[in-house]
Amino acid sequence: MATINIENVTKSFGEVEVIPSLDLQVADGEFVVLVGPSGCGKTTTLRMIAGLETATSGTVSIGSRDVTHLRPGLRNCAMVFQSYALFPHMTVGENITYGMKVRGEDKQKAHAAMKEASRILNLDDYLDRKPAELSGGQRQRVAIGRALVRDPDVFLFDEPLSNLDAKLRIEMRTEIKQLHRRLKSTIVYVTHDQVEAMTMADRVVVMQGGVIEQAADPITLYERPRNLFVASFIGAPSMNMLAGQVAMEDGQPVFVSNNGFRVPAPAHLATAAGEAMVLGIRPEHTGEDSSLGPCIKATVIEMEPLGPHTLLIGKVGDEKFTAQMPASNKSQPDDVVDVYLDRSKLHFFRASDGLALRESA
Amino acid sequence: MSVRDLKGGKRYWVLSACLVWLVFTLFPLYWVAITSLKSPVDVVGGPTYIPFVDFQPTLKAWKDLFSGARGGFFSTFWASTIVGLSASVIATLVGSMAAYALVRFPFKVRLASGIIFFIVAMGGYLLGSEVFGVNPAMASIVAFCVALALSIFLNRFALPGAVLGNDDIIFWFVSQRLFPPIVVAFALFLLYTEMGKLGFKMTDTYFGLTLAYVAFSLPIVVWLMRDFIAILPVDVEEAALVENVPSWRIFFGIVLPMARPGLIATFVITLAFVWNEFLFALFLTNSKWQTLPILVAGQNSQRGDEWWAISAAALVAIIPMVIIAGLLGRLMRSGLTIGAVK
Repeated sequence: MATINIENVTKSFGEVEVIPSLDLQVADGEFVVLVGPSGCGKTTTLRMIAGLETATSGTVSIGSRDVTHLRPGLRNCAMVFQSYALFPHMTVGENITYGMKVRGEDKQKAHAAMKEASRILNLDDYLDRKPAELSGGQRQRVAIGRALVRDPDVFLFDEPLSNLDAKLRIEMRTEIKQLHRRLKSTIVYVTHDQVEAMTMADRVVVMQGGVIEQAADPITLYERPRNLFVASFIGAPSMNMLAGQVAMEDGQPVFVSNNGFRVPAPAHLATAAGEAMVLGIRPEHTGEDSSLGPCIKATVIEMEPLGPHTLLIGKVGDEKFTAQMPASNKSQPDDVVDVYLDRSKLHFFRASDGLALRESA
Repeated sequence: MSVRDLKGGKRYWVLSACLVWLVFTLFPLYWVAITSLKSPVDVVGGPTYIPFVDFQPTLKAWKDLFSGARGGFFSTFWASTIVGLSASVIATLVGSMAAYALVRFPFKVRLASGIIFFIVAMGGYLLGSEVFGVNPAMASIVAFCVALALSIFLNRFALPGAVLGNDDIIFWFVSQRLFPPIVVAFALFLLYTEMGKLGFKMTDTYFGLTLAYVAFSLPIVVWLMRDFIAILPVDVEEAALVENVPSWRIFFGIVLPMARPGLIATFVITLAFVWNEFLFALFLTNSKWQTLPILVAGQNSQRGDEWWAISAAALVAIIPMVIIAGLLGRLMRSGLTIGAVK
């Protein structure tokens, strides 16, 4: 097991700069998830760690070794691909041991490693089958098994669950997490699914346009997003954003929305008086309980009953707004409803640069 | 839409049309088969169609063929078989490697270095043979090697002019099949006889004929295999790369097995081409390594059109290909699904 150190790495494909400059440290045994929209450079970053792409400049180290210009096979990484990338003409057993066989490792050792991997991954009954005869989840386990027997310094996962159906994805999520707990290995995992990122990671790295927007543990990311992008990317349903500005009334800062409602703002926003501001509030921090905090009026577009609660999909002025109401709320489309915002969960982002303004920060 | 979806009358119309087509395609084969069993009298005395009814079948043509009364049948069959198989195996293998390289690695060939190659090769040959009086074969070999080395070396520098990519190289390969083969056949014959003068006997040898067929089959193999390899998922090769599998093992252990259906199809097409090839065999062989098409054509020379003998020889030329296409066709179908693991 080892640390990963990415320093000042840039990557261009021809004229196109995919990663302007990236610094990322992964601790030994850490489960890091790179997440972001398509084209944000997360897969390129992973492939640069694996050696399938070479960094245009900067250095990539694994443990104490500088591997920037080392070919993939010598980096001692194991990679699990989105398409599983199993060798279609080999049985499950052969797939798992192929790498060991090629590296000329002892046959008995390979067999023992294969047995161990198949036991961990519940593949014992399928060892003689070809990949075409397996289900998606089984194929993914074979791909993980192939990585396991490698006993690598680093595990790399490239969107491994996105070809699976929703139920299987949740199961595999748990399996990979348990695997990590058991092996205590360093894992870098790429996904575009923020739920996957939040549920699995020790630390989530949110990327956009080749730049790290925020790298933090899931709860920090959720509670204290550094900027507008992270705030809107993390959380489902996503955070409501209302544009407005900060005004001073009676010496107290007040957020005045472009739609006309007023929300008392925390004292530290006094320094930002007069600036354009975006108010962020997550749907789960709204409700019909008047003790929560300030009130705004939302026009209902649609109600989505989910069982434990009902989502109110609506508009505040001409801005979209989603509120989480108790299941008992029976509002109809076009009703105008009072929605209360939890005053302790309000986020304020400066409109000019999107950065969150926080008391302590 | 399938014929199965059709109802009633329509279905019979389609079926009868298919039957007519079947008869149309099978009749020539049938005709050849029965003609090979006819005696000379039955062939020239007007059309006869059904054995034992309008004529008495005889094995005379076949006996003549196998006894070697009409040219060395066994040696010809043997020559066709080993030249055909070895040329197809080599061409498929080498062509697949070229196709793989052209699919996976970007190449840059500067037009200028190509022109330099042409000038040096041609100029060197002319200089050697015309001015210095060197033997033409030696002059061309030396000029070719010097030109190749020079152009590869110069290609590393930023020469002015267009830069050709992989698609251009593919087109260059295929373009070799665009001009009439007779042009190549003449040139090849001259080259081979010149090499013979140097002491390397090339005409009427296994090596010479196989080499010519490999060279002439390569364009088709590269062109076909490129498409078969391009559809393979690159992830699988990357997975092997991460596992530290060396490139040659990735090619032989992973790429070729995954491309098996395409490989077999290409092999069969190449084999059919070599097996049926007439022109090169005519130019480059005379006795020892003559192939079946030459034998078949030779049946009508001395004593007029002896159709019974031609038919027997033609059937011998057809049957092995039918068997091979049948066997490998089955393998091809069973393998078609293998690359499709998602």
